Amino acid sequence: MLAGYWHLLPEALVVLGAFLALFGEFLPGRDKGAAYVAAALAGVAALLVAFGGLGEPLFLGQIDPDGIARFARTAIAGLAAVWALWIAGRGMPGERRRDAVALAMFASAGGMVLSMAEDLIVMYIALELSTIPAYVLMAYRRRDVSGLEGALKYFLLSMLTSIVMVYGLSFLYGISGSTAFDEISLQGAGTLGLVAVVLTLVGLLAKMSAAPFHFWAPDAYAGAPSASVAFVSTVPKIAGIAVMTRLISEIAPEMPELVTVFALSAAASMVLGNLAALPQEDVRRLMAYSGVAHTGYLLMAFAPGSELGYEAAVFYAVAYAVPSMAVMLLAAEEGTAVTDLGGLATRRPWLAWSAVVWLVSLIGIPPLAGFFGKLYLFGAAAADALWLLVVLAVITSVVSAGYYFRIVREMFFGQDRSVEAVPGRGAEVVAEPRASVAALALLAFATVAIGVGASPLLGSLGAILR
Amino acid sequence: MPPLLTTIVFLPLVGAVVTALLPRQHTAWPRMAALVVSLVNLGLVTWLAVRFDVDGGLQFVERAQWIPQADIQYLLGVDGISLPLLFLSALLLPISVLASWKISDRPGFYFTMLLLLAVGMNGVFVALDFVLFYIFWELVLVPMYFLIAVWGGPRREYAAIKFFLYTLFGSVFMLVGIVALYLHPAGGTFDMTALVGAGFPAGFQWWVFAAFFLGFAVKVPVFPFHTWLPDAHVEAPTAGSVLLAGILLKMGTYGLVRVSLPILPEASVAWAWFVALLGVVSIIYGAAVAFAQPDLKKLVAYSSVSHMGFVMLGIASGTPEGLNGALATMFAHGVITGMLFLLVGMVYERTHTRLADEISGLSKQAPVAAGMLAFASFASLGLPGLAGFVGEFLSLVGAWRSELVPPAFVIVAAVGVLLAAVYMLWMVQRTVLGTPSPAVSGISDLNRLETAILVPLVVITVVMGVYWSSILRYVDPAVTALLAATGGM
Repeated sequence: MLAGYWHLLPEALVVLGAFLALFGEFLPGRDKGAAYVAAALAGVAALLVAFGGLGEPLFLGQIDPDGIARFARTAIAGLAAVWALWIAGRGMPGERRRDAVALAMFASAGGMVLSMAEDLIVMYIALELSTIPAYVLMAYRRRDVSGLEGALKYFLLSMLTSIVMVYGLSFLYGISGSTAFDEISLQGAGTLGLVAVVLTLVGLLAKMSAAPFHFWAPDAYAGAPSASVAFVSTVPKIAGIAVMTRLISEIAPEMPELVTVFALSAAASMVLGNLAALPQEDVRRLMAYSGVAHTGYLLMAFAPGSELGYEAAVFYAVAYAVPSMAVMLLAAEEGTAVTDLGGLATRRPWLAWSAVVWLVSLIGIPPLAGFFGKLYLFGAAAADALWLLVVLAVITSVVSAGYYFRIVREMFFGQDRSVEAVPGRGAEVVAEPRASVAALALLAFATVAIGVGASPLLGSLGAILR
Repeated sequence: MPPLLTTIVFLPLVGAVVTALLPRQHTAWPRMAALVVSLVNLGLVTWLAVRFDVDGGLQFVERAQWIPQADIQYLLGVDGISLPLLFLSALLLPISVLASWKISDRPGFYFTMLLLLAVGMNGVFVALDFVLFYIFWELVLVPMYFLIAVWGGPRREYAAIKFFLYTLFGSVFMLVGIVALYLHPAGGTFDMTALVGAGFPAGFQWWVFAAFFLGFAVKVPVFPFHTWLPDAHVEAPTAGSVLLAGILLKMGTYGLVRVSLPILPEASVAWAWFVALLGVVSIIYGAAVAFAQPDLKKLVAYSSVSHMGFVMLGIASGTPEGLNGALATMFAHGVITGMLFLLVGMVYERTHTRLADEISGLSKQAPVAAGMLAFASFASLGLPGLAGFVGEFLSLVGAWRSELVPPAFVIVAAVGVLLAAVYMLWMVQRTVLGTPSPAVSGISDLNRLETAILVPLVVITVVMGVYWSSILRYVDPAVTALLAATGGM
């Protein structure tokens, strides 16, 4: 009877990591120890999910550890572990580590549950669990006024869209009399059904910063510590995409109007995100807008409403999250203006080359993760004859190369403005913390491995869908 | 011993990794490593060419499942169309390494990029799975970006990103075409050999051809997609120019022959006049602009646009002569333009100018360099008896015989041959003859290493020009097979 419930062990481990981190005072190594313990537990959780096999639906079908959930949970727990590892090495600027780590772990647990959700209530609670810690993470430097402003903006917009979403959920319940995804049917619900779905989607789209709900992202990111952005801009997106595939495929599998909704949002996000990213001088703002653009690519996969599309979306969410987190962590180490990266290639050549791998993957150049992600996305959209959307996506991808290569240019040909480069300031070479180096190396390895090793990953995704 | 083609493609990758990891204080090690790798690579390709059966069709095929969910395979193979280009790529690599012998700025980085570039160059000509093909196609972008942007001329960063963005723009449309072929009910695979004669409907072919053509045309480059080329060539270091003109441009026309003709035969017929038109415009435009160039490197760059126009014309004709001519021109242009870029680089190292007006009387001061330059120029303008003539002659004959290319185009293209003679001979007259200018007086002649780099290219130019079947014996059976597979055109 209880046999299947061990599938929730990974979530339990991540929550345990959060609580242990909160009581970091009592751990060996204290602040740093808290981050290491959380990283280790999240890492074990990721491995457990990855190799633990698929489970039957639990709690009367309210959560379902299936193929998509396995993929998303592995990625969420894995990225949370890498992030905590990086924090163990570098810390949060001017603040304690342990609260940040605990918040990230709570958010990850929420994201992992969210990606298994099969019920409106579970989905809503998990979504809030993954978002509320993010508000705090974004405002982590409590004396930084601009950071607080950005976080407040994020909080208000996020709350507003959550409320809109609940409104939509109430309609869904009203139409079908049930909160379980598989019992909700919008057949014959007509316009009311569409309104209900769109209102529900507003909440999810806003959290993933899709146009036209993207306004909060650049301001919130630009005010927040880069390390927080690295987490908040990537991990919740995976969970959001996972639950969206589940929700849409079960409650509104064939709703022709949704094609338009997704296609419009995708097109607007791709164009707005990529064009707005071009002139940005701050890495956080640049990545915020590029995040909008990547959400646009992701939504493209929802337009056809096909299984191939859902698989492609979840795969791409991970293929985007890994290098994107890495670039933000790089900004956390080296400075947030694009020009701060000047001369990185001479200063830290391995890091600069890893950054080339991440950026090139974000552009979508083979054989890295981003290329295969985009290949599946384009394939899914093209299979449904959405050629205009595909052409728009490839053109905007080329635009994105323009701003990603600004960073490459700066790293290799920009002037070195760092403290060590200024003569007479005493070139004290600080040894790099091994933990953060390991975290970045893992992210670089994953960017290559997800691309070259796409085959087994797709196999695990497709296991449940086909 | 792993399979031969895999070894050829990935040996430079191993070399690149090793070169990147060499200790930085030994500045001579990277070039030695690169030279050894490139010579072994050339040896392997030569061995492959010796064992190659000219009538055997597709050979040395390696097939393995890679991503079975999407039917993506690891599929390599070589035939008479790709073998000359693979050989050219293997030949120009050690020459580029030797031409870069004096690179002192971050040599490890430089030779790593050069070897990485070689992975893409070798791979593109042997990949027979579309995804694999696209991977190798894009793989050349990043190393070439760095070769131009780090070791290039004064406007190197601009030229590098322009090259990158233009070619990326073209190739993403190629990706759309690849996806379209895969998704079409008649396709359903990324296997290029299986898609030949798949019988796609003509309307569908028309669109897919357009998508592929955009990718190929930017790479070739054909007028009006050529604007990245002069910038990239002028700013690139000598080895970069040699490989850019010698190999990277050929990837575009190779794509037309490998993908568009066999897989989209009806669209190739429908588009033939347009391809031919762009070819002819490129011939005349390239020649006219080359004529007006004071900068020698730009002159050679624009002459490339002109020569690649002949290749386009030959391909558009769809006749055996035209295709043989196109493939022969591709090989010959790689060798001859390589020579020209090497010579311009060598002269520039001595005179510190590339302006034709400031260089004169080379023959008195540096007779070997002058002789080589004159020889390469004659070969480039298509002097009978040298390699350049073979392909251009056959391309024109093929185009004349073809029903797809209006005769007027061929007449205009023939005028292009004349123009090539004019701008090349005028260049030779200004630089080689006359009394030594201030920039030239006092310079040394080519040293032994530089001569040794050029001699193999000279020999190949003569042999191919005199003994046409040295290349046609590989190309012709493959062209016949290609035309037979598509039912003639």
